[in-house]
Amino acid sequence: MKLLVCVKQVSESEAAITIDPASQWVTIGGTSAFRMNRFDECAVETAVRIKEQFPGTCIHILSVGPERSETVIRRAIGMGADHGTHIVTPSGGFVDPSILAGWMATLREASGADLILCGAMSEDLMQGQVGPLLAECLSLPCATAVMHVKIMPTGEDVQVEREIEGGYREVVVLQLPALLTIQTGINQPRYPTLSNLLRANKLVLKTLHADGIDAPPPLQGVKQVTLPRKLREGVFLEGSTAQKAEQLITILSDRSFLA
Amino acid sequence: MRNMIQSGSIVVIAEHFQGEIRPVTHELVRFAEALQEVRPTGIQILVLGEKVEGLAKSLAKTTGKDVLGILAPQLTRYNGQAYKTVLHEVLREHPPAYVCVAHSSRGSDFAPGLAMRMGAACITGVSSISVQEGVICFSRDIYGGKINADMVSSSKTTVLTVQPGSYGPTPKNDQAGGKVYLKSVVVVPQASTTLSTTAFQTSDLDLSIARIIVSAGRGIGEAENLQLIRNLASVLPRSVVCGSRPVIDLGWMTYDRQVGITGAIVTPDLYIACGISGAAQHAGGMKGSGFIVSINTDPMAAIFNLSDICIVEDLMTFIPVLLEKMAEQRN
Repeated sequence: MKLLVCVKQVSESEAAITIDPASQWVTIGGTSAFRMNRFDECAVETAVRIKEQFPGTCIHILSVGPERSETVIRRAIGMGADHGTHIVTPSGGFVDPSILAGWMATLREASGADLILCGAMSEDLMQGQVGPLLAECLSLPCATAVMHVKIMPTGEDVQVEREIEGGYREVVVLQLPALLTIQTGINQPRYPTLSNLLRANKLVLKTLHADGIDAPPPLQGVKQVTLPRKLREGVFLEGSTAQKAEQLITILSDRSFLA
Repeated sequence: MRNMIQSGSIVVIAEHFQGEIRPVTHELVRFAEALQEVRPTGIQILVLGEKVEGLAKSLAKTTGKDVLGILAPQLTRYNGQAYKTVLHEVLREHPPAYVCVAHSSRGSDFAPGLAMRMGAACITGVSSISVQEGVICFSRDIYGGKINADMVSSSKTTVLTVQPGSYGPTPKNDQAGGKVYLKSVVVVPQASTTLSTTAFQTSDLDLSIARIIVSAGRGIGEAENLQLIRNLASVLPRSVVCGSRPVIDLGWMTYDRQVGITGAIVTPDLYIACGISGAAQHAGGMKGSGFIVSINTDPMAAIFNLSDICIVEDLMTFIPVLLEKMAEQRN
């Protein structure tokens, strides 16, 4: 079986984020660390488990992003994937998800895959769109927020459980080839092994540049980015740890929460 | 066959589950009304399913809007492929300006694909509307709610998914009900089939009786540190320990304690958020709490925008000190 897993590099959730002077986009603090999107880690783990179950399965990793994104492809290979492609974009700025999906759909590894796995969303932009749009570009059936994956013995279908609100799940059978977006909680992604990492670091990844791929004009853009509106006038407690603790006790006690 | 969808209108796709209209549908109607104020046009509600005649009638009555019920006998359960196919079929002749969908599991499942079939932009997780320099902007959270992005669409039709909890329910309609139109469609077999909908996790834990909720997020770092959260809860009367999604995903707490859009929506008198970033997913489940205290090492964490008391501290340092001080005061 041929699997394609799409992964994205995101900044650490505690990264210092500032708004650029023209309020057009954000800048991530220079010293901030980057890592693989957690949803995508779960997608890679799902793929590696399928490979363990069906020997002969080949896992290809695809990432779209600036030069630094290459490290997440190597990490996914370290987790047990076979090969990877990097579509290099200029750093920064917003790209319409339909254009991202269009770029990804041009790859032979996408159109030839039996199963494509994506994260349900990225932790930074939280759009949840690239997966379903890629499915649409390739005319594949798609299921999102997947919490359980089972390849049927015939190898022609995949049965999944989608998470819906209120503790319910939907059981869906999709004909292969298909695309799934993976929800966190489906598994605990493994750490890369040393031997796999050594192999990943030696591997020459397929690289192509986004500006060399034909794309239609974007359908959406960013007017501005701002700091969010405060829903409550939060009071920041000042002083030492002990002083903050004492202030909090007074506040809670005044409101009879300690009684 | 009558088709009441008008070109350039605002269409609301109703969400229903087990024969009942989901509350988020009423938020979508409120959102559509807010959109109508900046883009005057008609609003129509569309409800799709196996037996939706009753739902269509009740929606027309409660909202006062015109409702198109699409009867699809084969669509006994939600199916993304079928939704995209049928909605595209119904909407393509008279493309609306906006299609409003819930930013729920199901809405997020079909909205992007539907948009692509319609050549429309899709903007997901919208929490508000504004007009800037004459352009309609749709605001959405990025970076875990630390930043707000105002998005603009340049396509003729725009599909929007609206973040639950952003718009209150529609006030009760005391005017005449809207018109109900019904249309039957045949859904051709799709490349995917929904077999069943099952309750995966249920419990008898009733979070609504808790006066205080002490909630742990990814910031607690290790499962062992949960004990600290439990210790804090143990000295707060009528309190319960809950968690945000990452903590439940890691298996450190059971699903019945998950606060957020995909878990429980809670409104205790006091909510103490420990190491929780405050992304929309979680915020939607707790922002109605009476008094909110947040502890987080990141001063930019979105949770502070919805807190009454903000404490920039490491939980592992702060909670032991807090417990010690509380013990001192009791003695």
